[in-house]
Amino acid sequence: MSSKYLDIFLREADEHLTSLQGGVLRLEKEPANKVLIHELLRNAHTLKGSARMLGFEGVSNVAHRLEDLLKEMEEGEREVDERAIDILLRGSDAMARLVDALAKGEPPSFVVEDFLAALDRGDVPEIAMQGPSCKEEDGFGDTVRARVKTLDSLVNLLGELIINKKRLESRVSSLKFLVRGDGGPPSLRELGQFQRELEDDVLYLDYLIQELHGEAMELRMLPLRTITDGFQRLVRDLARDQGKEVDLAIDGDGIELDRVLLESLKPMFLHMLTNAVDHGIELPDERKGHGKPGKATIRISARHEGDSVQILVRDDGRGMDPARIKQAALRRGVIDKEEAELLGDEESLYLTLRPGFSTSEIVTDVSGRGVGLDVVQKNLERVKGTLSLRSVVGACTEITLQLPLSLSVVEALLVACGGECYAVPVSYVLETIKVRSEDIVTVGGKEVVALRGTTVPLVSLSSLLGLPARKELLETGKVTAVVLKLREQLLACTVDRHLGSGEIVVKQLGAQMKRVTFVFGATILGDGDPALILSVPDLFAHAEGATTTGFRGAFAEQEAARVRGRILVVDDSITTRTMERSILVSHGYQVEVAVSGEDALEKVAGVQFDLVVSDVEMPGINGFELTRQLRVLDTYREVPIIIVSSLSRDEHKRQALEAGAQAYIVKGSFDQGTLLDTVESLIG
Amino acid sequence: MGEENRAGYNIDGILKEMRDEYWQGLEAVEEALEEQLECVTFALGGETYAFETIHAAEVLRIPRLVKIPKVQELIVGVFNLRGEIVAAMDIRPLLGLPQLPFGPSGRIIVVKGEKFHTGLLVESIKGVAALPLDTFEVAVKSLSGAQRDYLRGQLQLSDGLVILLDIGRLLAAPEIVIDHG
Repeated sequence: MSSKYLDIFLREADEHLTSLQGGVLRLEKEPANKVLIHELLRNAHTLKGSARMLGFEGVSNVAHRLEDLLKEMEEGEREVDERAIDILLRGSDAMARLVDALAKGEPPSFVVEDFLAALDRGDVPEIAMQGPSCKEEDGFGDTVRARVKTLDSLVNLLGELIINKKRLESRVSSLKFLVRGDGGPPSLRELGQFQRELEDDVLYLDYLIQELHGEAMELRMLPLRTITDGFQRLVRDLARDQGKEVDLAIDGDGIELDRVLLESLKPMFLHMLTNAVDHGIELPDERKGHGKPGKATIRISARHEGDSVQILVRDDGRGMDPARIKQAALRRGVIDKEEAELLGDEESLYLTLRPGFSTSEIVTDVSGRGVGLDVVQKNLERVKGTLSLRSVVGACTEITLQLPLSLSVVEALLVACGGECYAVPVSYVLETIKVRSEDIVTVGGKEVVALRGTTVPLVSLSSLLGLPARKELLETGKVTAVVLKLREQLLACTVDRHLGSGEIVVKQLGAQMKRVTFVFGATILGDGDPALILSVPDLFAHAEGATTTGFRGAFAEQEAARVRGRILVVDDSITTRTMERSILVSHGYQVEVAVSGEDALEKVAGVQFDLVVSDVEMPGINGFELTRQLRVLDTYREVPIIIVSSLSRDEHKRQALEAGAQAYIVKGSFDQGTLLDTVESLIG
Repeated sequence: MGEENRAGYNIDGILKEMRDEYWQGLEAVEEALEEQLECVTFALGGETYAFETIHAAEVLRIPRLVKIPKVQELIVGVFNLRGEIVAAMDIRPLLGLPQLPFGPSGRIIVVKGEKFHTGLLVESIKGVAALPLDTFEVAVKSLSGAQRDYLRGQLQLSDGLVILLDIGRLLAAPEIVIDHG
């Protein structure tokens, strides 16, 4: 048989089976809904017909039995009870398995005759169990269904692009005309006209590209429904196995998300739902004892929130008890005693996200194997989503997932580091800060910076990524750091500089680079070069053991090499001036010279020096007088002054000190050491 | 009659001979074709290497390569191949060859693998030619295991030795894949 017909049948069967499954579950709640029964009847009938046409007897026979059963229900000859619902569900399961086997070209995985015989006996037939949740592992396939409208619009936009290209071509020929200069050199007016026309074209081109991009991206979007459709059944089966009664309500399942996102969302939902049924929801009697309805409700609600989608999974079960969670975490060695005491109630809830945590006292079939929320967490990080928990003991548990709308375009901050450019999704970026040496504190051998009252670990992005360090950027005395946020944790990563933020297109690295630490993907920058998109969870994971930035040390060295202080040297002798100047400069001081007392007074008016070195005997006012005059100035009252003189009598030393000088050096004993020592003792 | 017959036989014989010759000639051409391999030849570590042209998608000047943090030495970086992110490999360490700098004649040969495209950095491209296989020798015994894994053998040509890379083995090597699990 031609595979074309098989394909068509498979797709059709899939649709009918899905609506059959969903419809039967609805029927369970609304047993008197005749319209619904009729609809189901139609599904079964169509399935029977198409299967028979292609000779798929198994499917057609099962569909036939279901059709009969539904007909009896429609005519009121048979009650819509639990047993009937079970038979219908089993029947549609069996057909799904048969169709699946057809798709894979395998023989059916159960004996169809036995199944039919059981149906005919009126039993609820068994299929060698391989629950519906197992077969849903296979992704979404390689094909998408697109609305004809979308395709039309894509084609239209492409047409517009072609027109735009023609327009640009005509601009080129008019430019050629201008350049050839047949009518003399082009006038400014002509050039201006040309510029305006070109600008219009580019503007329109930009608009077209945006539209096209949007439409193309939309092709990647699928409604949430594509994954939630099987959940009714899953929850129902799980609950029944445990003797619980649960209703699953789904709101906003029409919200569209990127298909890649949906694929990774599915296992998350499975975990959250099994968790809720297994741990959250009490047995009916217990619920009634607490004044709650016997039947529990799990509600999945999805809604748009800005550029993201928020999905809330809420159950009205027993809630999460912080004390019990702490105990369990302690028992499993997830935390130690001290940590337990420090944790608040809300923070305790997040312990359930840590690997190796599970509160279920007994290891059950469905959950409680130490996997669960941590898996959700991990998958969520991969798609740049966040998770938050809320619970009221005895009343409810709420898990909120915040997801980006699409994975293919994200808002990212570009940073330069170690000669490369990296992109960091802004959803993780709290802010960028400038860190000065004095902002860095060493705690237990690790460097931290204070940020509005909290301390944030500081690591160097380049050393984390194993790139060559670029110390010369310390010259300004400041480094740029990007403060990243992952859940409640903060991390400051130093970078060479940040290059602004913008939307980037996310590209996968291809099969040769299956999983690369620190790298989430890549994008292509405006200049055509690629830039890696950093995986922030990886940065957090590796920052723990990372070496310190060494910035404090580097800053200290810098400090030593840096200008130590500004000194004014006053002397009428060029030899003395030059000598003193070179001694001081070679030891890191910044030196200016004045040739006389008057010159010095002029210089101090504009600049605040840290120290003044002056001769005594100079033309004009002498060193003592200069000292006295400086002391009168507000800005120089406290500035140290050293008098250097050939006058060695005690009388002169006394005069100098009276005038307000801090030190007196006799030129005869003058050597490098004395001057430097004195300067250092005064201003360091 | 007899003569005619003889002549007739002779004509048949001649025709048969001609046919045989014709077919032999064809076979000879086919054999000669089988003895040649269409290859791209290039320099690696100063030696001449080659692999079949069908594996090569295109040759590019070496673009800017963006380094990937903490990966094996032979993955030099990634580059933009018309919107696709492709790795560039320096396979010389794998073959035990010296890593001479890639000068202005350095190129990237984009290789089509089953699962991925990858870029092979080479010191220069020598050309594309049908190499005669009559001097083909299988990989030398003296080579270490790792080197021999990726080489099929060598050809002694008039203008020197050409070493034939086993590109299939190379692309299947786990050493060239980054998988930090």
